[in-house]
Amino acid sequence: MFFQILTISKYTVIESLRNRLFLLTFLVIVISFAMVEFIGDLAITEHRVTQAAILAAFLRMSAVVIVTLFVVSSTVRELHDKTLEMILAMPIRRGNYYLGKLIGYFYIALVVSILFGSLLLLYADSQQVFIWSVSLFMELVLVIALSLVMLFTFNQVPSALTGVFIIYGASRIVTSIFLMAKYPIIAHTSIAQQFMDGFIELLTWLLPDLHRYTQTEWLTYNTADWATLLPLLGQTIIYLLFLSFIALFDFYRKNF
Amino acid sequence: MHSYYYFIHKDRPVSDVPGAIKFFLVLTLLLQLLWHSLQDPIVAKAEDLAAPLSTRTYVMSSLGEPIAVSKLLNLWLQAFDNQPGASISFHQLDYPRLTEWLDTSLALDPRGHYPMLVAARVYGSIQDHEKQRIMMDYIFYKFNEDPNKYWRWLAHVVITAKHELKDLNLALKYANALAEKATGDNVPYWAKDMKIIVLEDMGQIEAAKILVGALIDSNEITDPYELNFLTSKIKVLEKKLLKKRQSVEK
Repeated sequence: MFFQILTISKYTVIESLRNRLFLLTFLVIVISFAMVEFIGDLAITEHRVTQAAILAAFLRMSAVVIVTLFVVSSTVRELHDKTLEMILAMPIRRGNYYLGKLIGYFYIALVVSILFGSLLLLYADSQQVFIWSVSLFMELVLVIALSLVMLFTFNQVPSALTGVFIIYGASRIVTSIFLMAKYPIIAHTSIAQQFMDGFIELLTWLLPDLHRYTQTEWLTYNTADWATLLPLLGQTIIYLLFLSFIALFDFYRKNF
Repeated sequence: MHSYYYFIHKDRPVSDVPGAIKFFLVLTLLLQLLWHSLQDPIVAKAEDLAAPLSTRTYVMSSLGEPIAVSKLLNLWLQAFDNQPGASISFHQLDYPRLTEWLDTSLALDPRGHYPMLVAARVYGSIQDHEKQRIMMDYIFYKFNEDPNKYWRWLAHVVITAKHELKDLNLALKYANALAEKATGDNVPYWAKDMKIIVLEDMGQIEAAKILVGALIDSNEITDPYELNFLTSKIKVLEKKLLKKRQSVEK
């Protein structure tokens, strides 16, 4: 069983190499470096802080986009090329296939996090960069699981990508929306408003706390310590399991 | 060799493309060029500085990256005088609006000092005293919010008021605030001593001498260099006072 999982994950990694995913990652690094050096020339003070802040935000978003595009396009290709059907025709459990894909994608997320983190070493404290990179990896783990859920649900690239980006974006800003709804400038008591407030509060319960992950502040003002990662790890494990069971629920019900 | 052959010969020859496709390709390209030539010419037009949006809007539109968006706003604001094809001077900028932008940037990144630096050294260094005063007022307002954090920018403003505006009363007001409110350990003695210098420049040597004496007597100053400075300052002030009295008697 374990051998099957490893084989599937191995071929997922091979596919990423053939798709020139790491070449794309290097390209992003080169572009980011050029951009951030230019920004450094523009800034008249706080050069390093300005560079680190903009670079970190750009790399974080780029990592999420690259990994999401890869996971969705690679899995949808397997669905459409009937590779998945061929694999499932063999004595392999659907759960093992899912786990194999997940581990393969985690490896890719790890490499992307390390590569992006190494560029940040030029602009920020090494311990803070390490914590930031670990947090980015955990964030990407959730993005991968979310991409698989969306793909098993929608089966199509545009809808799956839209779903991932909406949920990811909402997870990052839901706290701000919640605070705005809770403390409005003009208080409303209409039923529609109460419904919306309740809905937003429900979202804060259901979505992961992504605003706590991969914070730029850590790199600019050295505010993170190792303990920062513990609640993130807890949230990652819980939400990864939650998303995985949603994906498996859909996957086991699928007819090919 | 193989890959070279592949890249050169992987597609069919151009002659295989139907003539109609080639014709319409050229035609649509010409159509695009014609369309562009019919458009109004692009003219550089300097834009006024618009009011900033709320900080929440910036936080949400950057997906929760307030520090990064603050740094980008700083750079954008700094480059606002250089708009595409048009260059406007800082004199033309709406200064009260400018302070709103600086405030927004500080709200997004409260630990940053970038907005204060541009307020003091960029926007506060123009040859327009009225606008300089707006910036100085803004720095004084921010100083009052957190004196131990923003003391250095008020110290800069004291120098600007003294040397550029030649408004010693204003310089004294700011130096007074520095001496009274910036009491943290991080604030150096020279910043607190600015009041003595301004009083001396104003010719209020007696007041300056009393202040120096009070500082020495307070026993709050433990730094030997600072004590030396104050002791020698008293001597300098006494000499000046003597000269002043002698010139009055004559």
